[in-house]
Amino acid sequence: MFRIYILLLFTYFFFHLHASGNIAKYINMKYAYLSYSAIFIFALLTIVQVYDYFKGGGEAAGEPCCDHDHSDEKDKPFYQRWFFYGVFAFPLAAGLFFPIATLDSTIVKSKGFSFKPIEQIEAADHYAQTQYLKPDTSVYYGKEGYDELMEKELSKYISKEHIALRDDQFLKGMETIYHFPGDFLGKVIEFDGFAFRGESPDQRQLFVLRFGVIHCVADSGAFGMLAEFPEETKLQDDDWIHVKGTLSSMYYQPFKATIPVLRVKEWHAIDKPKEPYVYRGY
Amino acid sequence: MFSQSFLQLNTIFISILIEAVPFVLIGVFIAGFIQMFITEEMLAKVIPKNRCLAVLSAAFIGALFPACECGIVPIVRRLILKGVPLHAGIAFMLTGPVINPVVLFSTYLAFGSQWDMPFYRGGLSFIVAVLVGLIISRQFKGNQLIAKGAVRNHCDASGKQTFMKKFAGMLRHAADEFFSVGKYLIIGAFVAAAMQTYVKTSTLLEIGQTEAASHLVMMGLAFVLSLCSEADAFIASSFRSTFSTGSLVAFLVFGPMVDIKNVLMMLDAFKKRFILYLVAYIAIFVFIGSLLI
Repeated sequence: MFRIYILLLFTYFFFHLHASGNIAKYINMKYAYLSYSAIFIFALLTIVQVYDYFKGGGEAAGEPCCDHDHSDEKDKPFYQRWFFYGVFAFPLAAGLFFPIATLDSTIVKSKGFSFKPIEQIEAADHYAQTQYLKPDTSVYYGKEGYDELMEKELSKYISKEHIALRDDQFLKGMETIYHFPGDFLGKVIEFDGFAFRGESPDQRQLFVLRFGVIHCVADSGAFGMLAEFPEETKLQDDDWIHVKGTLSSMYYQPFKATIPVLRVKEWHAIDKPKEPYVYRGY
Repeated sequence: MFSQSFLQLNTIFISILIEAVPFVLIGVFIAGFIQMFITEEMLAKVIPKNRCLAVLSAAFIGALFPACECGIVPIVRRLILKGVPLHAGIAFMLTGPVINPVVLFSTYLAFGSQWDMPFYRGGLSFIVAVLVGLIISRQFKGNQLIAKGAVRNHCDASGKQTFMKKFAGMLRHAADEFFSVGKYLIIGAFVAAAMQTYVKTSTLLEIGQTEAASHLVMMGLAFVLSLCSEADAFIASSFRSTFSTGSLVAFLVFGPMVDIKNVLMMLDAFKKRFILYLVAYIAIFVFIGSLLI
C-alpha cells in the first residue's frame, strides 16, 4: 500500500512541477521533456501497482509470479522499514512543502569561488576562469567558430549606444561585453540582478549577479558585473535591483586586476523576478 | 524554520533528482524488459564462453547501449541474475554510461566541437572497462550479488506466457526495481547536494596543484558532484583552463563509472568487498590511464 502512495505522490509531484511552472526553478527548460515523460511513466507504474493490489487482494500476495523484491521492506525489522519509508517520503515532502530556495549569495559564498579566477585573467592567460562572473562559452566552440560567434554578437551591439540586457540575452550579452570590453566603454548598459557585496572595502561597489543554469541548478554558476554607485547604498546581499549606467573599467583591489565596471547612473530596487535564473540556450 | 543554506541544499537535491529520475525510470524499464523477455539461452548465445572475448564483447555492447549511470546498475544486476558472467556484466556496466551517442555528442559540443575529447573519453573508458573486467574474471568466482538478489527467479521469460502477461510482468518488475534502486539514488543525491552546498570547491582546487594531484582532485570532484554523464562534460569544460586535458579525462571517465549515487546503488546489488575492489581497480586504471594522455 505504501508503494502505491509513493508512486502516486511522485506522479503528482512531477505533474505539479510542470503544471505550476516550478520546474523552471530546478532545471533548464530545454530538458523539460525528460521530466515531463516521467509523469506518464510514474502514472503507469502507479496503475500497475493499484491493479495488483486490488486484484491480489493485498500486497502482492496472490501473485503467481513472485519476485524476491516484493515483500522486501516488509520482512525487515521496523526501524529499517521506517527508514525505507522515510527515504522515499523525504524528497516528496521536501519538494512539495518546503519553499523552493533561489540560489543566492549564500551559494556564491559557500561555493567559495570568491571570483578569484578573474584576477589571473590578466596576469596569465592560460589560467583563465571558472564559470563565475564572466560567462565563457568559448569552450563550446572551436577557436575560430567562437571568434566568429563573438564578432556576430558584437555587431549586434556595436552600433547601439544603449544596451538593455533582457534575461534571455543576459548570458550571451555579458560574455560579449567581457570579450570586447574596449568596444563597450562609455556605452549605457542596463540589466537586472541581485546584489553581492563581495570583498570590496568601498561601500559604493557591489556585484550585480544572476545565476546561469546549464542543465539543472546543481550545475549553475553566478554571472554578472561589478557596479559602482554614485553614493553609498544600503543594499544588502540578495537585494534585487535594476541598474543602468555607463561601462568603464577599473583596477579592483580584491582581484588585483582591471575589470569592467558599471558606473551606475540610475538604479531602483525591483521585486525578485519570476524567473530568477538565466538559462543557457545555446 | 530552516536556514537558508539548508533550503538551498534542498533545492539542489530536488533538482538532481528531477534530472536523474527520468533516466532511472528508463533503466528500470529496461531491467524489467530483460527480466520478462530475454531468456538465458538468448544471452548464452550472445556472450562468448571465452573470458577475454566475453569481456570485450560486453564492453562493446555497453558502448552501443544508451544508458546513464543512474539507470545502469539495475540493468546489470538483472543481466547477472540471468546468468551473464560477472566480468562481462561489469565491463558492460562501465562502458554503458560513458560510451554512448548522447554522452559522446555532449562531450563533443562541450569541448569546442572537436573530436579529441570524446575520443580520449571513449577510448580510456573502453580500456579501463576491459582491464577491470579481466581482473575481475580472475579474482572473483560466483556472481557477487548480495543474497536477496541471488535467489533464483522461478518465473521469468520462459516462453510459456502470453505477451500481455509478460508485459504486465515487465511493468511490475520495473516498479520493484524503482523502489530498490530509488532509495540509494535519493540518499546519493542528498549527499551530493550537501557536498555542493557546504564543501568549498576552491579547497579542492587548491589541492590540485601538481599534475598527479590534479588528476586525483578531478576524480574526487567527479565522485562528489555525482553529475549525470550527459551533463558532466559541460562542467568539465568549465575547468578546462585550470586543469590539464588528462585530468579532465579522468573526471569524465571516473565520474560516470563511480560516483556517490551509483556506489550507493551498487550497494543494493553487489557485495561490499567486491565493490571495494571494483572501485579501487577503476580508480587505479583511470588514474594511470589519464596520466598517460
